[in-house]
Amino acid sequence: MSSIPPEDTIPEGDDLIAAEYVLGVLPAEERRAVARRIETDKPFAQLVARWQHHFDPLNEHFAEASAPHYLKSRIDHRLFGTEETQAGIPLWGSVIFWRGLAFAALALAVIGFGRDLIEFPTTEPAPQLIASMAADGSPVRTMAIFDDQTRKLKITVVAGDIPQDRSLELWLIAGNEAPVSLGLLKSPQVTAFDLPQPVAAKLRDGTTLAISVEPIGGSPSGAPTGAVVAAGTVRGI
Amino acid sequence: MTPEGISELISRVSLRDRAAFDALYASTSAKLFGVCLRVLGNRTEAEDALQDIYVKIWNKADRFAVADTSPISWLVAIARNHCIDVLRARKLVAAELDQAADVVEPSPNPEQSAVAKGEAQRIYDCLDQLEAARAEAVRAAYLNGDSYEALASRYKVPLNTMRTWLRRSLMKLKECLEG
Repeated sequence: MSSIPPEDTIPEGDDLIAAEYVLGVLPAEERRAVARRIETDKPFAQLVARWQHHFDPLNEHFAEASAPHYLKSRIDHRLFGTEETQAGIPLWGSVIFWRGLAFAALALAVIGFGRDLIEFPTTEPAPQLIASMAADGSPVRTMAIFDDQTRKLKITVVAGDIPQDRSLELWLIAGNEAPVSLGLLKSPQVTAFDLPQPVAAKLRDGTTLAISVEPIGGSPSGAPTGAVVAAGTVRGI
Repeated sequence: MTPEGISELISRVSLRDRAAFDALYASTSAKLFGVCLRVLGNRTEAEDALQDIYVKIWNKADRFAVADTSPISWLVAIARNHCIDVLRARKLVAAELDQAADVVEPSPNPEQSAVAKGEAQRIYDCLDQLEAARAEAVRAAYLNGDSYEALASRYKVPLNTMRTWLRRSLMKLKECLEG
């Protein structure tokens, strides 16, 4: 074909580098450089993904082999340590950090969202719970604030868009219980959820809030079916 | 387990759900360990690699959200890429090049190939359109993690010639796959 150069020249181009990365033939240094590029260059990353997709069917040739039992406990040890500690980010446990975030949220409310996000306390401040939700590699960043008196949970999308052809669904996960749907995010600014008492009771320090991508109208099964684009732990302030 | 089931487990792992991580490991570790054994060809290294791979899966589970691929393909790609990184970090010794020449080439299993349907069949059809030796080089690179250096040694051609060969094969493959 005309796009293939004559026999004696090496064909060039990003697409071929992407293919070579997927095949795995590149020497160490070049391979590392390409791996770094995938992290920062989205069009290039898409070329890599496309080649990977072409070659995926060959994966059937990797025969399954049982891994020795001790490997899983070594993995757990590396990830979670020996004690039953919470595998969380230390920063998230810091009261100072959360107080700081609360002030930031207040400032944000004043600047960007007026009184939509936070109703200013009139008499004495009601107990509030707050959660910042995000996920590595996902553009969506959201913040949740719960007012115990009104039982309103307000979610604001700080960054990222609500996709046109999908719905974003909010979930509450208390301990080891199955996720409970709280409803769909409607507005890119603030969506308020009225939580019934049994659900509100579950919303406390340590509860996880998460947002998943679902078909329009929400998960058909009542459990999250799509990718989780943001998640965070609730903290009292 | 169904792809939907594995997708759900990965999503739950991104929420730091350890029970989901256990279930994900139980249902996918045999496949990923198979990848490690095939590419690294060494049990001790494969065991080390599998641990690193699941640590990566735990840490990168949220990225599956933005990856437009089947969950098992996503997991195998993490495993394969990690093993190839390990392989490339090794000093390439002469013994290994000799060993590479002796690897019995896995011809595509006719039974499996016949089962592969539609889109999945395409890569096999397109590989069949390449000269046999060149198709074999592509397969050996993907499945065994052969480097340009190892391939050049096996086919007894200079490195640049090997690169020209393979790149031309890739261009023909692309024309066939996307044409």
